[in-house]
Amino acid sequence: MELHILEHSLKVASIEKEGIQICTHGLIKLAFLASKTRCKFFSLTETPEDYTIIVDEEGFKELPQSEHISVADATWVALNVVSGGSNTSTSQPIGVTKIAKSVIAPLADHNISVFMLSTYQTDFILVSCRGLPYILNRLEQMVNGETVAAHNLGVTNGFVKPKLVPRPIIHPLSSPSNMFCVTSLDPDTLPSVATLLMDVMFYSGGQKESGASSEDSNHIRFFSFSLIEGYISLVMDEQTTQRFPNNVLFTSASGELWKMVRIGGQPLGFGEFFVAVVPEENIQSVIGALRTESAAQ
Amino acid sequence: MSGSKPDILWSPHHPDRYVICDSELGLYRIGPVGSAEAKAGTLPLSEETAATLLAINSDTPYMKCVAWYPKHEPECLLAVGQANGRVVLTSLGQSHNSACKELVGKEFVPKHARQCNTLAWNPVDSNLLAAGLDKHRADFSVLIWDISSKLSPETSVAAEKIRLSSVDLDSSTVVTKPLYELGQNDACLSLCWLLRDPKLLLAGMHRNLAIFDLRNTSQKTFVNTKAIQGVTVDPHFHDRVASFFEGQVAIWDLRKFEKPVLTLTEQPKPLTKVGWCGKLTKGHSNNDALIYYFVFWPCKCSFKMINVVVSLLCACIMLHGLHTVTIPMQVSHMKQCAEDMELKLQGNVQSVVYSGIKNIVKTTSGTTETRRCWSGSDRQTDVPRYHSEERCLALRLCGWISRGTDTDVENFLRSLEQEHEWERAAAVALFNLDIRRAIQILNKGAMAEKGDLNLNVVAMALSGYTDEKSSLWREMCSSLRLQLKNPYLCIMFAFLTSEPGAYDGVLYESSVAVRDRVAFACMFLNDAQLPRYIDRLTLEMKEAGNLEGILLTGLTKDGVDLMESYVDRTGDVQTASFCMLKVPRQITQKSALHAAVGFTFMFTGSYQPTFVFVLWQVFVSCNFCGKSISYSCSTIPHQGRGFSQYGVSGSPTKSKVTSCPGCRKPLPRCALCLMNMGTPVSNCQGTGKSDEKVDLTRENKLAQFNNWFTWCHNCRHGGHAGHMLSWFRDHTECPVSACTCKCMQLDTTGNLVPSDSS
Repeated sequence: MELHILEHSLKVASIEKEGIQICTHGLIKLAFLASKTRCKFFSLTETPEDYTIIVDEEGFKELPQSEHISVADATWVALNVVSGGSNTSTSQPIGVTKIAKSVIAPLADHNISVFMLSTYQTDFILVSCRGLPYILNRLEQMVNGETVAAHNLGVTNGFVKPKLVPRPIIHPLSSPSNMFCVTSLDPDTLPSVATLLMDVMFYSGGQKESGASSEDSNHIRFFSFSLIEGYISLVMDEQTTQRFPNNVLFTSASGELWKMVRIGGQPLGFGEFFVAVVPEENIQSVIGALRTESAAQ
Repeated sequence: MSGSKPDILWSPHHPDRYVICDSELGLYRIGPVGSAEAKAGTLPLSEETAATLLAINSDTPYMKCVAWYPKHEPECLLAVGQANGRVVLTSLGQSHNSACKELVGKEFVPKHARQCNTLAWNPVDSNLLAAGLDKHRADFSVLIWDISSKLSPETSVAAEKIRLSSVDLDSSTVVTKPLYELGQNDACLSLCWLLRDPKLLLAGMHRNLAIFDLRNTSQKTFVNTKAIQGVTVDPHFHDRVASFFEGQVAIWDLRKFEKPVLTLTEQPKPLTKVGWCGKLTKGHSNNDALIYYFVFWPCKCSFKMINVVVSLLCACIMLHGLHTVTIPMQVSHMKQCAEDMELKLQGNVQSVVYSGIKNIVKTTSGTTETRRCWSGSDRQTDVPRYHSEERCLALRLCGWISRGTDTDVENFLRSLEQEHEWERAAAVALFNLDIRRAIQILNKGAMAEKGDLNLNVVAMALSGYTDEKSSLWREMCSSLRLQLKNPYLCIMFAFLTSEPGAYDGVLYESSVAVRDRVAFACMFLNDAQLPRYIDRLTLEMKEAGNLEGILLTGLTKDGVDLMESYVDRTGDVQTASFCMLKVPRQITQKSALHAAVGFTFMFTGSYQPTFVFVLWQVFVSCNFCGKSISYSCSTIPHQGRGFSQYGVSGSPTKSKVTSCPGCRKPLPRCALCLMNMGTPVSNCQGTGKSDEKVDLTRENKLAQFNNWFTWCHNCRHGGHAGHMLSWFRDHTECPVSACTCKCMQLDTTGNLVPSDSS
């Protein structure tokens, strides 16, 4: 398992729903006209509360300044976990679970906030630029510490690992009813679906409002688009995928769908606001596990 | 990672056919421009050639990469990799083959859709097709499909149904289970099967090159690099691989895979494709996309292409070293023979070392003519044979007679027999007028294992030789000999049936080795004919760039010309450089030097004239650490003194360096004064007080030399040069007690003593 520090220095911004009109020019440029900018990292996520933008410094120049946009002070650095080149025999598929266990959880124990971004292709862990040396130091110590611990285990044969202390979960959980699709598309076909994507990105609000009465309250508005190093990744709910023409979206052979676990109903500020998507069939067990932990708390 | 680029694929079997893949597939055939009238779909390629569109296929949308089935049948089967990762088999033109019909339309679908970047057919196990895909969170990026695999197995039907409902596909042609899955959580950008073992697959992954072994898929060899695009293995040299990154090409040797053996410098434009020159191909560009194709060296159009073509070509062929073994051996053989000769011809004006037969026979003098009998009979031949010192040397260079005074070819004949070169041996025996021996050799050849029984027939024909001018034998032999397939048998009869002095049938038989023809000429051509023939042959060799001609030219200016022409013809720079490095320093003809530097330049890709000269460096190394005792002193700053300080300087009292500056271990002791080397010679025997008056400069020079390291190469004992010299003035044995080495007698120059110390 290798942890790569990517070269992008990223800005995280939140755009209020009302303020999206003033930003559309820049956002369209970043999303659909990548060759016209020098931006290599762009992600747009629409939640019921706001639009969250993650963009590198080159791309950030494309966005206007406005009272509707709040930008996190810190510059963020993206880390990417890949399976090591050498020992494929030992490496498991590296998913969020493993990353969470081996990278995020230890950092959480040291009260270091991270920002997670998952795409169709891979997972990124965003850490604040200022904290990076400290984080690396911490991780290094953890790696070393682990080996020492393993060594100790070998020496004192009857040594028992202390039971994991349950991590406190403070925020309420909820799982919206709609199902999501994590998908991608060929950058060459992007122009053909650009208008549709624009519609989904920026004009969904009005459409949804009209049918708001019929919509059940558990339904959540969520859409994510990212264009990172030439790779496109999309997260959208099942209904939205129906609007795309056949064979444009990359679908997985098993047609897997995901459900969402939402932690914290209200905006809690950066670092605490958290949305996770988990495979549909696992949703009950995930929620169950999280509830148990809350209860124990 | 995105954007489809037009590509060109040459047919693996028809050199005149190619496929252009853009938004659709088009099969073209190249033909002369005249034959095809202005038909629709004809593309002029050059003044003489045009490409005719044979077939077009637009069944496969979102095409990203294409690979042509490597086997003869089915012929026009193509695998197409699509933007969603599916691999579809399709064909161009009509196919009557049922196997092909079965395959066409088959689809191979990865678990998670993403772009298919590259495809590669296994050249041996041709039902294996490797596909390289973009990255997905947890899926594999290298999938190896078996195109002959049975369609979706029953177990996967359930999963299949879900998928089919969404993408409505004809389930009968879809394969979802790859044979092998490799490279998890990574992206694969280029693939190529290794020719040295068809189970090995080389893949250009996201940040490294990896070699996967299908026998053990959990293991891989990998090297981190940016040059991961377009991996391709050299068809002529299976351990050599090229890959590129933007404008840079890296050449790798799989036996030493840690880093590229050669990196070709940055090109102004990013490369689209690299390939090894294997066959004659021509570049073809489409839609302004730059496609680099490699054209064989002698083709003039290669020079029109951009640098990378030429320079990579050098790199490709340079490592071939077509003649590295044979030619340098010939050169050193030449040197030995010539040295022998030089000892004999002391006082000869011109050095004959390395000068080649052309120069040797030019100075021929004192030629004697003999008419010998056919051995074993007393019949006089009317064939004059010529002898001289120079001709004898030439014969030696040709390998017919061995070194020394012996002029008998018997040894040579025996060695030829051992190597089963019966015809050649018989011809040599015949030219030495031993017809009986020739027949005997042919008999032996016919009897030998896998021998040719026809040799007996030839022997019979040979035994009927008559010098009667108008005999039937002569008439038949001179006409029928041309039907003999073996050139040596042919020249044997040419020799027997031709008039003395007119041996064109032998001398211009180009399939006979040059050295044999030259040897023959040296024996049977007179002083007027011989240089003329040799000059003509030399010119021929030079023009053809035939390295055999180095025997004639030697390493002279002619030799350099020959080498140049050889490089022009083959591009084998390595052999040329190697031979040029053998050029001794006394032949510092400008052209030779320039050529050597020039070849070196091509060889290394940069101008490094010093490369030629660094070979002669020697130094005294420490017994303990192996470092040069003069070298390491410069690395210690506070002792930054030159070599002259270590016991060889003119101020002996000041130098106290008696230990290795690298490891501080003491230097060896002088066998006579028992002091460590580096200690100056204080009082040489024989340097009495009476000598104090000799002038200082001479004294210094002597002192310098006296302090030098000297040792016997046999027993390794030694000491100060001054001490050694005075010891061996009176002794022949080593000064070390119990060592019986007769050091001084081992060396022929041992009797020489410096004029100073006499």
